Amino acid sequence: MTRRRAGKGAAPGQEGRTSEMSAPSVGIFGLTGCAGDQLVILNCEDQLLDILRALEVKDFSMASSANDTESALDIAFVEGAVLSKRDEETLRRIRERAGLLVAIGTCAVWGGIAAMDRGMDREGLLRDVYGEAGLEFDTMAAKALHEVVDVDLKITGCPIEADELIAGIAGLLNGNRPLTVTTPVCAECKMQEHSCLLVESSLPCLGPLTVGGCGARCPGLGIPCVACRGPCMDANVESALATYEEKGIARGQLERKLATFAPWRSVATHES
Amino acid sequence: MKRTIEVNHLARVEGHGGIVVELDGNEVSDVQFKIFEGARLIERLLRGRSYGDVAQIVSRICAICSVAHSLTSLKATEAAFGIRPSAQTQGLRDLMYRGESIESHALHLFLLALPDYLGYPSAAAMVEKHGDAVAIGLRLKKLGNAIQETLGGRAIHPVNAVLGGFGALPTTRQLVALKDALEREREDCDRMIELLAGLPQEPFADADIAFAALRSSAWYGYYHGDLIDMLAAPTRQTFAAADYRAVATEEVVGHSHAKHSRFEGRPFMVGALARLAINGDLLRGRAVEAMQQLELAAPFRNPMDNNKAQAVELVNDVEAALATVDELLHAGLADEEPPSIRPREGTGTAITEAPRGLLIHSYTYDAGGHIVRADVITPTAINAASMEDHFRHAVARSKGGDDMARMLEMIARAYDPCISCSVHVVRKDHVA
Repeated sequence: MTRRRAGKGAAPGQEGRTSEMSAPSVGIFGLTGCAGDQLVILNCEDQLLDILRALEVKDFSMASSANDTESALDIAFVEGAVLSKRDEETLRRIRERAGLLVAIGTCAVWGGIAAMDRGMDREGLLRDVYGEAGLEFDTMAAKALHEVVDVDLKITGCPIEADELIAGIAGLLNGNRPLTVTTPVCAECKMQEHSCLLVESSLPCLGPLTVGGCGARCPGLGIPCVACRGPCMDANVESALATYEEKGIARGQLERKLATFAPWRSVATHES
Repeated sequence: MKRTIEVNHLARVEGHGGIVVELDGNEVSDVQFKIFEGARLIERLLRGRSYGDVAQIVSRICAICSVAHSLTSLKATEAAFGIRPSAQTQGLRDLMYRGESIESHALHLFLLALPDYLGYPSAAAMVEKHGDAVAIGLRLKKLGNAIQETLGGRAIHPVNAVLGGFGALPTTRQLVALKDALEREREDCDRMIELLAGLPQEPFADADIAFAALRSSAWYGYYHGDLIDMLAAPTRQTFAAADYRAVATEEVVGHSHAKHSRFEGRPFMVGALARLAINGDLLRGRAVEAMQQLELAAPFRNPMDNNKAQAVELVNDVEAALATVDELLHAGLADEEPPSIRPREGTGTAITEAPRGLLIHSYTYDAGGHIVRADVITPTAINAASMEDHFRHAVARSKGGDDMARMLEMIARAYDPCISCSVHVVRKDHVA
């Protein structure tokens, strides 16, 4: 099996097809998670048939029982986190097959809620839930995809935003690397002139530290951001922390909330 | 002669699972519904979390049932703290459930189950010859999502429903748009019933089935109520939500290291067919007609009829949602003062009907409002024992015919399993 890696900004190419624009071969996969990002794809009711015409979907077990599980793929979309040796093997096999591996959703990009146990005693947790038998299970602490294989593109969100996915697919079809938002939720919130839940209502809104792309959906509804899209690498962490402190939001409570969907450490230290 | 029938990876379902049936001659010697999902330990990870964080975390147990998980969570926490949401809040929550159910049933019926009946591997493959059917399914699905988005802020993992109420109420303009969409989709409901009435019957199983469901009040629904009805012919018994352990006794099952839910030693089924068995008397108008058109009548003895039961619910949900939206438009939405939230020590248990059946959340909080213990029982975990029972029954009934893998897959799909959900409670042997 040959591994085809698309270069930076390169279209996933297919040789030997001359008529129209060739449809890239695609696989859509889920590791351990809630299947929400695959569901976002199926929820594009108005665009679904067009998407299926533009792509040659070869392997998508949530939607089809006739899957080609061996052939090389131009693009693989993978959701979910790695929580077992089975997941790890599945992911390595997908990596071997795929030219471009796209992590979709917060679990795939950051580990997601199953990774809340980072730093906890995993054996103790398993014993708590399953007794001694738990130690025999094929299970491991949750990892994001990039902790196991090389990941070419990341589309975050819990779940991903349909618009971002569709724009991403359209970009790839036209040979462009999709743009992703790098500014915080806070920026999108300010643009819409919502009143600030942190500054004006002293609520623990995580918008200043969380990467945007959601259009500040939650603060727009008067609900504090819970950081479901993961950390914003361009956030002004020190300034935000000072504001939380000023508002009487305890550092412990804050870190716990932040660590729900992604490792807080990566924000504090600006690691990706 | 011994042989094994194996479905390595059950496709067109949510999550990762498989089926293994072992035969000794024509006798079934072992049946396993295997689960390959990793263990996320969500109930354990909730321990110590503050009450305000819980609904957003448990929503992630499953995307397709995320309204049910979020709202059952809120209902359980409110029960623990003695919070009584207003009638308006409860009405809007009921409407959110209708939206989720419409989306989930349309997805399951048209994109996951229908390809089996028409002989295709997927809905995408059906487009050329059965484009109309696919289009009906997608339109109904979109309607369900529109309801969820309008009330929950987004279709998957809703954010707008919070303890005691909602972040923001829908606007009149949004409600008018929903009313239009609901009225338009009535016609698709009729087409759906005609389509399903014309499909071949699949009499894979013919057996007594025990059913459990939330007993609805007034109009057949999914959110209101705190009583579980258990119909294990010839008896029908009622249990309070707080006594859920008396309904679902978990037993360790030797062959699979699984804990299966049983009632008095008997597997039972939850989901649309169970709801129809228990709340069928509360259906109205078009849904009653749909049942007749589909020739669906109690007592139900074939789990494949769960597909038809979902179609009846879809008709009922569109009618009930339309009535609710009409009422809201007529009365207008009040900008209510949210109830005050004071955490206290104690346990709260809530039951609702997720699209796939009875869902139970039970939380114990400390005085500061931190989770001490969380227990989540999902419909697919409850259904696992019943599903295995039906695999056994159907294989025995088919007398070792050659298309057994297809039959097993169709039965599994009729249960509409949600494997992400089930893994938290079914203590499966995760060694694949």
